[in-house]
Order: sequence, then structure tokens, then C-alpha cells
Amino acid sequence: MTVKYEGQKIAQNFYTFAVLLFLVQVLVGIIAAIQFMKPDFFILNFNIIRTLHINSLVVWLLVGFMGATYYVITEESETELWNIPLAKFQFWATVLTITLVVLGYIWMGINPQANSLIMGINPLNEGREYIEAPRWADILIVVSVLLFLFNCVMTVLKTKKWTGIQGVLLSGLVFLALMYIPGMFYTKSMVKDQFWWWWVVHLWVEGSWEIIAGALLAFMLMKTIGAKREVLEKWMYIEVGLVLFTGILGTGHHYYWIGTPSYWLWVGGIFSSLEPVPLLFMVWDAFRTTREARNVTNRPGLFYTVAHAIFNFVGAGLWGVIHTLPQVNKWTHGTQLTTAHGHLAFYGAYVLLVIAMIYVTLPSIRGVKEYNPSRAYLSFWWMTISMVFIVLTITGAGMVQTYMERLMGLDYVAVKTTYNFWFWVLRAIFGVGFLIGVGIFVIDYFKLGKEPMPVISAAPEKA
Amino acid sequence: MTIGNKPLNYWEVYMSNKAAKNLFIFGSLFFFVIFLALTFDTMSTLDKRAPEITEKVNAGKMVWHKYDCIGCHTILGNGSYFAPDMTKVVERKPAGYLKKFLMDPKAVNPKAAMPKFGITSEEADNLLTFLDWISKVDTNGWPPKPILAVAAGVGGGELTSGQKIYQAQGCSGCHMINGIGGTTGPELTKVGSRRDGKWLHEHFEDPSKVVANSAMPSYKHLGDQALNELTEYMLTLK
Repeated sequence: MTVKYEGQKIAQNFYTFAVLLFLVQVLVGIIAAIQFMKPDFFILNFNIIRTLHINSLVVWLLVGFMGATYYVITEESETELWNIPLAKFQFWATVLTITLVVLGYIWMGINPQANSLIMGINPLNEGREYIEAPRWADILIVVSVLLFLFNCVMTVLKTKKWTGIQGVLLSGLVFLALMYIPGMFYTKSMVKDQFWWWWVVHLWVEGSWEIIAGALLAFMLMKTIGAKREVLEKWMYIEVGLVLFTGILGTGHHYYWIGTPSYWLWVGGIFSSLEPVPLLFMVWDAFRTTREARNVTNRPGLFYTVAHAIFNFVGAGLWGVIHTLPQVNKWTHGTQLTTAHGHLAFYGAYVLLVIAMIYVTLPSIRGVKEYNPSRAYLSFWWMTISMVFIVLTITGAGMVQTYMERLMGLDYVAVKTTYNFWFWVLRAIFGVGFLIGVGIFVIDYFKLGKEPMPVISAAPEKA
Repeated sequence: MTIGNKPLNYWEVYMSNKAAKNLFIFGSLFFFVIFLALTFDTMSTLDKRAPEITEKVNAGKMVWHKYDCIGCHTILGNGSYFAPDMTKVVERKPAGYLKKFLMDPKAVNPKAAMPKFGITSEEADNLLTFLDWISKVDTNGWPPKPILAVAAGVGGGELTSGQKIYQAQGCSGCHMINGIGGTTGPELTKVGSRRDGKWLHEHFEDPSKVVANSAMPSYKHLGDQALNELTEYMLTLK
């Protein structure tokens, strides 16, 4: 069970970079959690730590998608990748760009004045959440994504096997690339700034990324249990279709209170309430397909695939829909409830997705038929239980904040430093639990297929 | 539905892969076109919902970006949830205090979590102009006034004389404002947009004269000035 094409091995480069950034993300996340209790805890201030936390998340997921796509495209097209050196160049160019951006953030953290305007542009940090990367880096990232997409499309054109999975995957990636552009120009109005900013942020995570997730879900179910392509692809179309039918106008739930007209209260309220529906379909799809499974070839891969579907629905769907109606959101907007939703949504929808893709594809890239799955399960439970409790503590903090600040009118800082203090303590403790899970996963990633199989797990039932 | 002995799924019969694919493509395009149209309409209204953007407002916005303020704060409710929301901060704190705080937070408040960034006097002025601008944007009523603080009169500022009369007379025993108070009498949360001053004043003097069968007692004994102040307060409730 090895890969047929050299191009698929490129995926491993991307996975390794993604896994290392994941570790960085969680380490700085713990620093950030401690700063909620002791703001002066670290040499870098919270704003830099937080920027590193969310940027490393976004980048490692994107890099993970890229690796997964190189694998899927060659497999689905049944041909070698169009240009392997180009893919390797694109990989190292991406690593270099990201490294420079990170060094820039750290430099700015040490010397805030280093971010003074140069020719009307902030050289180190744009000061816009999630898309802090400066303009020169934006351009390099776009070039990298275009090279990546070009390589993939040329590969598909070699054999013209337009399978549904790779069609949807590529359209999701093209949509992703296009939706980066609304974040690349300056507007004098903060209202317009946030309006276009949500095009990037919302239409990524509740649009193009969910399309990619839908395509990869179908691919993984096909690979791990040999489910029928025709059925998977039909459901994939229905799922990603519903994602966009609800998600595009669902952007309106970010346009309630930022200075935009009030009709968005109706548009956003109605359509974003329906956003969990396609995610529920994905859960049902995963269970239905798994129930029919006769020969599971990769149990940890399947395990993570199903877990991704479930936590995508719980985190992105349920935790979002509880405060998506304007009548509720008026009181909860801008509170810790958003943080809670953000954590469970990104973990369920995308962290588990990329890890699932790694477990589904890495064994064949490394050329092993069987591997010891015990660390894969162990890390899953450490990460998932810790994340669930992290989210519950932040949800608790958000409810206290909503009641005390928004309803009673207490001061923000008073609520944060006194009434919510023990929530921060618990969150940091569970953060360490999550780090342990990530540590086990990282060790497993580097050791997978490189150590002899222990006799005990030779029987698949043991899994 | 069955064909032979093999049960068939509804979708497998009535929806081909091609139909599902077309539904995905054209449905998505359909919703994206609606989204574009709404975006176009929104863009044409945004400038009317906010004060004019002067060069100073823009310079202040650039200061906001330069120091990555959103890495801790939120503005219009979006940001990092680590420090207070800045949308209405100029309404909560005096400008003189804010300027000193921006330039050296811990000198003003030793317990402040915010570090000293080296914000210059000019930058602080520009930033405050920008924050003043954002506080005047029409945000569809966000952030909402905290209902308990408003009822207790601690939601910022001294009680007006009308509010004091409202409390002293126990009006909230029967009437409700912003969710606080009784349900016996009509709700007054938006009474200012329903009634004019003349009507309200007459009503306080003799309720049953303007509302048939009203059970509310007359408050004529409070005197003209007190009733005027109470009326003024009622007119602010919109």
C-alpha cells in the first residue's frame, strides 16, 4: 500500500509544516490563556500572542489543505502531478513567507514603533484580526496559492478525469483564493473595513472551507471504507450546495451591529439559522456510510473522519446557532461566547479534518500497510476532552459576562478580573491537557510507519 | 419504492448526480447574486449612517491599525475579547482621561493591563477623533443599554429630575421601561414616540380625561414644574 505517484509525497512536506505550526499555535495559546490572569506574563504582549495564535491556526489549516489537495488531485486524476519541482518551490516559498511574517510580528511586539507607516503601508502588521499579515505578504501568499492552483488544474487537465470530488475541492479552493482579495485594500471607513473583512473571514470558514471539508469528507469515506463514489458524490453536492445556500447570505449575521442597514437582521437571522442543516447532513452521511462498511482499511482515519463530522456540527453548527438570532446576539455579540464558538468550531470543522486527512493519507505516503493506532486514539481523547472543557469554561465566562456586563451594566474589566477569574484558571489547565494531546499527536506523526508493529495490535479488533 | 426485491432510496430514484451538481452550481450562483445586490445597496447607504470621515478620523484609524489595537480590544463588537469594546468608549470616559491613559496607561491607572506603546500626543488626538466618529455610527442600537443599570440610574451619569420623580413616585410599580417594572399599566419603553408633551401633561393631571376608564390616579398635586420634568423624561423614551 504505497502511493502510486511521486507528487503525492509532496503532501508530507505540507503536513510536517502544518503539524509544527499546530504545536506553535497551542503553545502560544497557553501563554494567551495565562495572560488572561496575568497580562504581563510574557515578553510579548497579548495582542502579538493572540495574532500568532490565530494566524498559525489559519496558516497550518491552509497548508494542511494544500498538502491534502496535492494528494487527492493526483489520486483522482490517476496521473503524476503536473510539475513536482514547482510544488516543492511553492512549499518552500510559503514556508519562507510565513517565517518572515512571524518574525515581523515578534519584532513589532518588542518594538511597536517598527510598524510605523512606510509608503502608506504598515510593514509588519495590518492590525486587522485574522488577516494581520502585511500587504507584501498578502501578495506573496496569493502568488503561492495561484502557483498551487495552477499546478493542480494542469494535473487534472492531463487526464481530464473531472471527478465530483476533485471538481468540488478545486472550486472550494478557487473560491478561497478569490475571497482573500476583499481583505487586500484599505478603506477609510471602519464600517466598510469590517464589511469587506467579513467577506474574507466568513466566506472562508462558513463558505469555501466547508466546501473543501465536504469534498475531503467524501474522499476520506471512500478511502477508509470503500464507500460507493456515486452515492458519496451526490450527497457531497447536496451538502456543499446547502452550505452555500445558507452560508453566503448567512454572512448577514455579522452585519447586525457594525453600522450596516437593518434589513441584515432579517437576512442574517434567517439564513444563518439554517447553517447547521448541511453540517447535520454531513454527520448523517458519515454514520450512514460507516454503518454500511464491510472492510475498514484504516480505522484511525475513519475514526477521525467521523469525529470531524460530529464536532463540525456541534462546534460550527450548534455553538454558533445558539446566538445567531439578532434578538440574542444583541446581548451576546462581542462577548466570550464568540470565543467559545470559535474554539469548538475551528477544532471540530478544520483541526480534526486536517488530522483525519493526515491519518487517511500518511500511511500510504510512508508506504506502510498497518501501523500502531494507539497514540492516534490517545491523542484524540486528550485533545477532544480538553477542548470540550475549554469551550465549556469559556461559554460559562461568556454567560456571566453577558449577564453582568450587558444586562446589569458592570464594567468589562471588573467582570473579567473578578467574576470570570476561575473560568480563566480552568481554561488554562485544560489548555495544558490539550497540549499533551497535541504532543502525543506530533510524536505519532513523526513516528508513524517508522517503527516495527507491536505484536499486540496485529489484530484489527484491538483498535 | 422498490424495483424487484431491492429497496431504493428516494433520492437515488428522483435525483441524479448531475441534477445534484447543477443544483449546487446554479443555486450557489443564485444566492451569490442576491448577496452582491444587497452588498451594492448596503454600500450606497453606509456613508449616510455615519458622520463624515475627515482626514483626522482616517489618521486615527491608521493609528488603530498601527498598534494592532484589535489584538486585545473589540470595536463594533469584533476583535479579541481581551480588553473592553471601544465602540462607545468616548461616551463612557472623558477625553482628557483617555488621552493620558493612551500615552501611559499605568501612570493613570496602576492596575491597567495595557502596556505603554509609545503613542504620541498627536496619535492619541487622532485616535480619539476616530473613536468619537465610531461612537456616532448608527449600529442598530448596539451595544444595548444595560437594563438593570438603566433602571437603577447607574448606567452612566446623574439621574435627571424627571427620572428622580419617576422613582420617587414608584411609577415602576405599574409601568415597565426596558424590561424593568410592573405590567399593570402600559409599557413606557417607547412612550416618547407615541405621545406628545401636551398629551402627557394633561394625562398626569387627570388620566381618565384622556384615557377612558383609566385607573391611574391624578398627579396634579406634584405641581406644574414636576409634571413638566416628568413629561420631558417620558419624551426621551423612544
